[in-house]
Amino acid sequence: MQTQEMGRIWHWRTTVFVGILLAFILLLGVSFGPISLDFTKIIRTLFGFSGGLKDEERTLLLELRLPRVLLAALVGAALATSGAVYQTVFRNPLADPYLLGAAAGAGLGATLAFTGSNKTFYAALPLFAFLGAVLAVAATFLISGKAFSDPATLLLSGIAIGSFATAVQTYLQQRNSQVLRPVYSWILGQLTVADWNVVKWASIYIVLALFILIRMSRLLDGLLLSDEEAFSLGISPNKIRIIAIAAATLATATAVSASGLIGFVGIVVPHLVRGLTKRATNRALFTVALTGAGFLVLADLGARTLLSPAELPIGVITAFVGAPFLLFVLRAKRVMK
Amino acid sequence: MIKINNLSVRYGDFYALNHITLEIPRGTWTCLVGPNGAGKTTFLKTLLGNKAYDGSITIDGLEVYKNLRNVAFVPQRPEIPAGMDVAEYVMLGRARLDGWGRESKKSRQFVHTILEETQLLGLQHQLVTQLSGGEMQRVLIARALVQEPEIMILDEPTSALDLHHQISTLNQIDRLKDSGTTIISTMHDITLGAMYAERIIVMHKGQVLLDGPSNEVIHSPELKKAFDNGISIFTLDSGRPVIVASRELPAP
Repeated sequence: MQTQEMGRIWHWRTTVFVGILLAFILLLGVSFGPISLDFTKIIRTLFGFSGGLKDEERTLLLELRLPRVLLAALVGAALATSGAVYQTVFRNPLADPYLLGAAAGAGLGATLAFTGSNKTFYAALPLFAFLGAVLAVAATFLISGKAFSDPATLLLSGIAIGSFATAVQTYLQQRNSQVLRPVYSWILGQLTVADWNVVKWASIYIVLALFILIRMSRLLDGLLLSDEEAFSLGISPNKIRIIAIAAATLATATAVSASGLIGFVGIVVPHLVRGLTKRATNRALFTVALTGAGFLVLADLGARTLLSPAELPIGVITAFVGAPFLLFVLRAKRVMK
Repeated sequence: MIKINNLSVRYGDFYALNHITLEIPRGTWTCLVGPNGAGKTTFLKTLLGNKAYDGSITIDGLEVYKNLRNVAFVPQRPEIPAGMDVAEYVMLGRARLDGWGRESKKSRQFVHTILEETQLLGLQHQLVTQLSGGEMQRVLIARALVQEPEIMILDEPTSALDLHHQISTLNQIDRLKDSGTTIISTMHDITLGAMYAERIIVMHKGQVLLDGPSNEVIHSPELKKAFDNGISIFTLDSGRPVIVASRELPAP
């Protein structure tokens, strides 16, 4: 027998295929909308060839569609990867990136920004949401005890912190009923605010966090074993957990502050990849990131076009498509067994 | 050389290990026996260094706590990961030598050899979640073997195996010992343990009750005491001892 048959750890063919698919989806994303743009003209414009789009269409593409599609891709990649990482760290297939209070913390931060009723506060919404998410996760770590002894305790502290933050948020909303609407629409998620500025800072944090996670993705295999086994194989499981959660939180908090709460991506995409490849997702984190990006660009396309010219909150689309799809994948998996 | 000095592990007020002092020389096989709850598994896990303890454990003069050494561990109840096949799982044993996630050509060849020796060839593309208990046990031992460890710690390595694989597995571990690896195992089958290990340590309620060469320990009347006189020891004509559970339980 050939030693090559000992098994490559991950088949790069899958990743390349998903990458090509993503490129196509990105093209779809910038092309469709109330005004459709021609594929070849888009490509010509982007690569600076002659015969590209005319002035107005060019502005539409470069100033509106492109940043929006890129932001959707970044946020999708961040949420999907964080979800996959959380599921490994907590040994729980239902774990999602908002588990440790990131969502509730961001919600509280956003509400604070809205109730400030001051325009300067309003502009600082992403910052407030970001800080809210990071502080909530930090608080979760603190109350779960020193360097957290086990994932279950951390998970429960996350639920406690989340409930507390939501309670405060609800109180604030009741006292300032004028913020109900903007807070609600923010919670459903939105990519309408996308401009190059947002894309720029979001990409810095998200790319950094994803780079760390993908670099350490194979160490996450060790977390699938018992702690003693992992230790005997040469890793300190708690150290890996802390780094993984910190990086995933950075990605999640950035995604939340850029686009509000977009549910379900963190669960549906890792399960999709797992269901199709029948493999643990750790080695496929890069593929998960690409799939997440494609998924959210498609969802955003739906959000923009289904009720055109009005817009649906993207969170509605991800749940509307994601939930039945997840059920389908899970069912197919059970039948195969 | 492993030196254990005044080692204690407590869970609240309960001493799982109670002031144990002993030395284990390199390249020997030590077998821990004793009734359930005697502290054998706690002892093994403490040796790994991922568990807080009082007293000291040093390997070649270095304290083990939080010190990542090449110590292989075969647990009795492993956490079986979903979505990983046998080859990948065994390859994890090379992670320390290759760097995580990398696999050298040498490692692949080595994994192939070990899978052949553990009679697992043919199962390498099977997911570990689909293995029988005995197959999983052999996969665990294969993973420990590819680690090329300085010390190998095994918690009941033969409990899930049929008679044929018990012997082939123990022979393999024995060969590893001959190449200089220190073996520390627990075993419920004392007869089998005595066939391979040169030293038997009898534990009882977190303490060392008996410690000596296998042949002496196994014939010692003290051994019966450790099991509350619930065992009988016979000697076959060949001189080989056989230890079985007594039919009658002693009066409580």
